Amino acid sequence: MSDEEHHFESKADAGASKTYPQQAGTIRKNGYIVIKGRPCKVVEVSTSKTGKHGHAKCHFVAIDIFTAKKLEDIVPSSHNCDVPHVNRTDYQLIDISEDGFVSLLTDSGDTKDDLRLPTDENLLKQIKDGFADGKDLVVSVMSAMGEEQICALKDIGPK
Amino acid sequence: MDEIGLKAAHSAVFKDSDSLEGICTRIEGYDFNQGVNYSGLLKSMLSTGFQASNLGEAIEIVNNMINWRLSDETIAENGSEKENDPTYIESVRTKVFLGFTSNLISSGIRETVRYLTEHRMVDVIVTTTGGIEEDLIKCLSPTYKGDFSLPGAELRSRGLNRIGNLLVPNDNYCRFEDWIIPILDQMLKEQLEENVLWTPSKLIARLGREINNDSSYLYWAFKNKIPVFCPGLTDGSLGDMLYFHSFRSPGLIIDLVQDVRAMNSEAVLASPRRTGMIILGGGLPKHHICNANMMRNGADYAVYINTAQEYDGSDSGARPDEAVSWGKIRDSARTVKVHCDATIAFPLLVAETFASGSKKFSA
Repeated sequence: MSDEEHHFESKADAGASKTYPQQAGTIRKNGYIVIKGRPCKVVEVSTSKTGKHGHAKCHFVAIDIFTAKKLEDIVPSSHNCDVPHVNRTDYQLIDISEDGFVSLLTDSGDTKDDLRLPTDENLLKQIKDGFADGKDLVVSVMSAMGEEQICALKDIGPK
Repeated sequence: MDEIGLKAAHSAVFKDSDSLEGICTRIEGYDFNQGVNYSGLLKSMLSTGFQASNLGEAIEIVNNMINWRLSDETIAENGSEKENDPTYIESVRTKVFLGFTSNLISSGIRETVRYLTEHRMVDVIVTTTGGIEEDLIKCLSPTYKGDFSLPGAELRSRGLNRIGNLLVPNDNYCRFEDWIIPILDQMLKEQLEENVLWTPSKLIARLGREINNDSSYLYWAFKNKIPVFCPGLTDGSLGDMLYFHSFRSPGLIIDLVQDVRAMNSEAVLASPRRTGMIILGGGLPKHHICNANMMRNGADYAVYINTAQEYDGSDSGARPDEAVSWGKIRDSARTVKVHCDATIAFPLLVAETFASGSKKFSA
């Protein structure tokens, strides 16, 4: 792509695919997979060999990386599945707004203000308490398929 | 021994017997000095004894079943106009229920069943899931003869499945999967867009239409509108296909209730026709047919061909008389159980009944 055609999007990579195909038989535990359009982390894979039920099949049990819901799928092992590109980026936490958004400092020095506080109660409490105490916090943001969410917290301040 | 003792012993051993002459059939087997006459050989079974006699009786009962007409009954004087119309009453025949287990369709009995459905010689069929899929799979890829003694672990490593002394390669089931999944997709589409409510018998009729191959009994059953019931539809490769299909394209619904209505109605609404049951093997097909006939206070004819025994109280092994106690067979009915593997007995039975040239079947 030449510079003139470069479009800016606030979220994921411009034009790059959010998923890539991978043969079902090669997807392992702790890998990622798309089930019913949701990006998921695989917690269990079992393969049934070719037999009375037809072609060999992989049975996946996976957890949606954003909603923590359990999803499952069965796919012939020679078929391709979609695997999401999952990125983790660290940002320094600058501010928490009243309506539940966070203000983050990016590597390039810009602020990123479009992210909400996480819904997970433990993480939410840690962030709020840590910020209220004036600690220096770095949040890890996981992004996949156009969605983003804070998934972890680090205290980098002096002890 | 003294004179009196000898006389007592003599009369104990040589007890006077009733005469059976003219009351019971004399036992006499086939005489090969006549040459090899297969028809004569089969007819001689009735007087050969043991299971050959039972088979001979089964042949007689099935011929009675086939040849019965409503005109054989005395009609009530105040019957309806239809009941007094001679052409009508001569056209009313026995409704024949045929049941068989899946392994028989894996075997060459499939060809005998195909003959019966091709010529509309039976009215209702009940079978288990393998009885459906094995017929369809044989149109895609054949089953082969193996041996009972082939070692399981080695067969598994070679991708061969054993059914008795038959072998079905895994590849056959893969082809079945490739063939059926698009059909299930289409059926789901029709369910969602045209409000079709599928039942096992409707699904089976659809598969018979789709296979479109005249070596398949299901194709002929579809063409001749012979319903095929399989209430245990999920218990086989077909069930596995439904299971996998539900992950990729969920939502296909298959209604059992409609089918039990249809099956029982076949029996209940059969009158004034008589009903006859020909059941090969035991298990679900045997019970399902008997149960439906219970709804009309019992079938008029019953022929069982199976190898099961009654000592364990199983329904599979139960003799026709047990079904009489339930009202599944009338106490006036003619019944017989032939203790024999159906792969031997059934073709011989059909040879002397349905297939013998002198019987006519209306198209």
